[in-house]
Amino acid sequence: MGRSYIVEDDVEGYLSKLCSQLAGPVTGLLIGQSTVQRDFVVMTTRTPQNDESADGGKSVDKEWVSEHARQVSRMLPGGLSVLGVFIISESDAKDTLTTLRQLVFSVENLISSERLWTPADDDVTDCVTLHVNPKTRKTVCRTFDVKDPKSVAKPADWKYQSGVCSSWATVSCCLSVDLMVPLPENMAFTRNMDDCLKEELKVWAQQIERGVCLIDGKKLPEDSELKAGQKKNVRQTISAQLLITPDVQTAADVVQRCGGCVSVRGAIHSRAFLHSNKPKAKLAEKLLKRDIVSTVATRVQMLLEEPQKQNEENKGRKQMEQSCLPRRVFCPVKSTGPLSVCDYQFSDEGLSEMTDRFKEMLDMDAAEEDLDATCEIIAEVIESEATEEEEPAEENEMLDPWRNNYIGVAMATAVALLALAASIMYLSDV
Amino acid sequence: MVLADSESAVILRLRGPLDLKCQLDRIDEVPMQKAISRTFEALRLQVKSESCVLAVCNSPVLIWPNKSVFEEITPDAPFEDIFQFIQTDDQETSGKKSTKKKNRKGVSTSIINLSLMMEATKPGPASAPILTRTVQKSHLLCATLPMDCAVWSNGSDTIKDGCERLMKALTRQLFEMEKVTLQCMKGTTLRVPEPLHFLLPEPNGLVTVVFPRGEPDKELEAQRRELHGQFELPDNRPFFRRANAYHFPNEPYKDGYLRNPHTVLTHPTLDNGKVYLVQGIYSYHHYMQDRMDDNGWGCAYRSLQTICSWFQQQGYVERGVPSHKEIQQALVEVGDKQASFVGSRQWIGSIEVQAVLNHLLGVTSKIMFVSQGSELASKGRELANHFMTEGTPVMIGGGVLAHTILGVAWSETTGEIRYLILDPHYTGAEDLQVITEKGWCGWKGPDFWDQTAYYNLCLPQRPRVI
Repeated sequence: MGRSYIVEDDVEGYLSKLCSQLAGPVTGLLIGQSTVQRDFVVMTTRTPQNDESADGGKSVDKEWVSEHARQVSRMLPGGLSVLGVFIISESDAKDTLTTLRQLVFSVENLISSERLWTPADDDVTDCVTLHVNPKTRKTVCRTFDVKDPKSVAKPADWKYQSGVCSSWATVSCCLSVDLMVPLPENMAFTRNMDDCLKEELKVWAQQIERGVCLIDGKKLPEDSELKAGQKKNVRQTISAQLLITPDVQTAADVVQRCGGCVSVRGAIHSRAFLHSNKPKAKLAEKLLKRDIVSTVATRVQMLLEEPQKQNEENKGRKQMEQSCLPRRVFCPVKSTGPLSVCDYQFSDEGLSEMTDRFKEMLDMDAAEEDLDATCEIIAEVIESEATEEEEPAEENEMLDPWRNNYIGVAMATAVALLALAASIMYLSDV
Repeated sequence: MVLADSESAVILRLRGPLDLKCQLDRIDEVPMQKAISRTFEALRLQVKSESCVLAVCNSPVLIWPNKSVFEEITPDAPFEDIFQFIQTDDQETSGKKSTKKKNRKGVSTSIINLSLMMEATKPGPASAPILTRTVQKSHLLCATLPMDCAVWSNGSDTIKDGCERLMKALTRQLFEMEKVTLQCMKGTTLRVPEPLHFLLPEPNGLVTVVFPRGEPDKELEAQRRELHGQFELPDNRPFFRRANAYHFPNEPYKDGYLRNPHTVLTHPTLDNGKVYLVQGIYSYHHYMQDRMDDNGWGCAYRSLQTICSWFQQQGYVERGVPSHKEIQQALVEVGDKQASFVGSRQWIGSIEVQAVLNHLLGVTSKIMFVSQGSELASKGRELANHFMTEGTPVMIGGGVLAHTILGVAWSETTGEIRYLILDPHYTGAEDLQVITEKGWCGWKGPDFWDQTAYYNLCLPQRPRVI
């Protein structure tokens, strides 16, 4: 009894287009939602050209495909994930299947190595592979269980349908984040900070997972069905709330020496999509919590990956540095339909950089006007030690090109002041 | 501190952890105190904020006390209404709310447990997080405050009022915790403040006190003295030792022993008679417990264990109830017995019980001697006085048996007397019904004693300490 994938019509169009375009094998990713009840593929994207590849992209580069998958995975809100890989090639079916098998395992290993949330028992561990012959347009669909290194290909159904995600529901919330982690006494400046922060993120992720999730203000029993997708083509949004309790500290010494501390404070917008086939409250909670953990972890990771300004260790003097985590910007997948993908914008980037990335990673043609940057505001940070003034000059620079955000900017300034004031209260000399 | 005076008393108990986290740039006393005070102030603001949530345990009821949002219930409904939402495991079997516990006066004490949580979500838009790195040799204070507030309520209090009182209690507790933390600070050693509840005699009722965790009772005498003064309690018996902490109705003892089985009995009514009983809590120790087969020889040991359990649970000693071997070892140590005594099945009597109480617990005892059992009928006044002033269980040995006397019913005018006996010869399981119905714990008349044998009674004296 194999899996049965319901695939958005647009995917067929996209794959057809690729078939008629290029010579040589084309790989790409299949994106959607796989649950115990149903499997859906809603988007695809081809692997971007690797300009530095040895053979000009003629052969399939496992590392390149996996790296693309890892980057794409960061751009998918909750409920959407990389479900598998496709290849368009005329090669022999058996060889291609072997290649596909290697690819899905490699992709899954890389993506799961970054995950901070623990897999659940009811997670689907099958990944899908699709082999399309460009001449005959014949498609062969197989699945592999990536939890089992010895798994063999199992046949699966691949059915196109229109409007697959037109009545999918969106669960979202805005969540405060407040982490503080001590740095060890003797440390090399950045390296140990990364590890400390990652450890603390794991602890925080567990706190989120334990949190009580309210759907539309109520705590629903796990298996209750949400009223999603009842009306066709009606966009449905569900509001969620999360109640948490802190971890109980068990260290014997309540006061510990440290070499400083790292804190992450602010708020994030979290979003997850639910299929419309009688989704359960349990699923909504799971997908939203995973998105919360992923979006914070991804941004911290991105910040740590930025080249650091190496400060000399100034013995005895206090060094304080603040950086903004990038803010989340959404882009709708189709002009109709509830789905969107996301990317993260650093304060020194403009919206055009985002549209470029959507094109490169997801092969999406998005215009700046299509982007939704209203869910999160970037707080401006002043590098030097605390002052409470905000230079008006900066304000003018911020006005353009963020065309949605005149009010947003004024709010951003106010919020930035508050955020700064809060950080000062915590960190200034006692 | 309000004692419920109506038929249905309800305890509202709010518990939950709060993070106490604060970076200490300097660890000199004054800056450290200021930093800690500021952190407590931030916590007080946090519990007054709109993100504070009270969740009734095992139910879908949620309350945002600071923005008057009530999920599943209405604010003006009486607190008792919440019971219908609470799911307990044994609701099917008992059919009734199993959180109720009837005490002798027929007033049932129910408890509603609430959890303190914080809502992490809030209205958008979100201000994207800022990462701040501070490199500086310093200290970090990181602890969890175990908030635990309990207020009495009579069942007809509205939910809104009940929540207001809980939130006031929560803020007060944070103030007390701050005080205790700062008081017990020694350099960089801090003790986490821990609330404990005590059920004081009327009119005080249920009272919550914050003590520094891990500080042994003997270091806290000054605090206890102050509390005794504050609540006008006698200063010769403990009320605020850790062992005196109140056991809530829904928190069974985990060691498996029965406590105070005598409380379910109907006490005899004698003409012009009064009942004088043991005061406080003891555990029932008897044959065959602890996988120790002492059938036929261990009765005095078991009576001694019951007495030791009384001293432990009233807070006079911290050591646990001694085993047969430990009792025997103690007698060897005081020179009363040879080394070969340890591991034997030899009986002991009142004198040995007195010696062990003295050696292991530091407790002195009076010995009462009667040359024949019939004389016990005339000891009503002494026994009544003992239970009034000392209130400790009495071990009686004579003939070939040892028993524990837990009280007397005595009439000064008629001289009629009954004895409340706890029998250590019981070999069965901890079944309260069997034990009380079959008389293993029960009232006996003067003919219970062997009229011709001589008896020794050991009457332990309460240390006059707090």
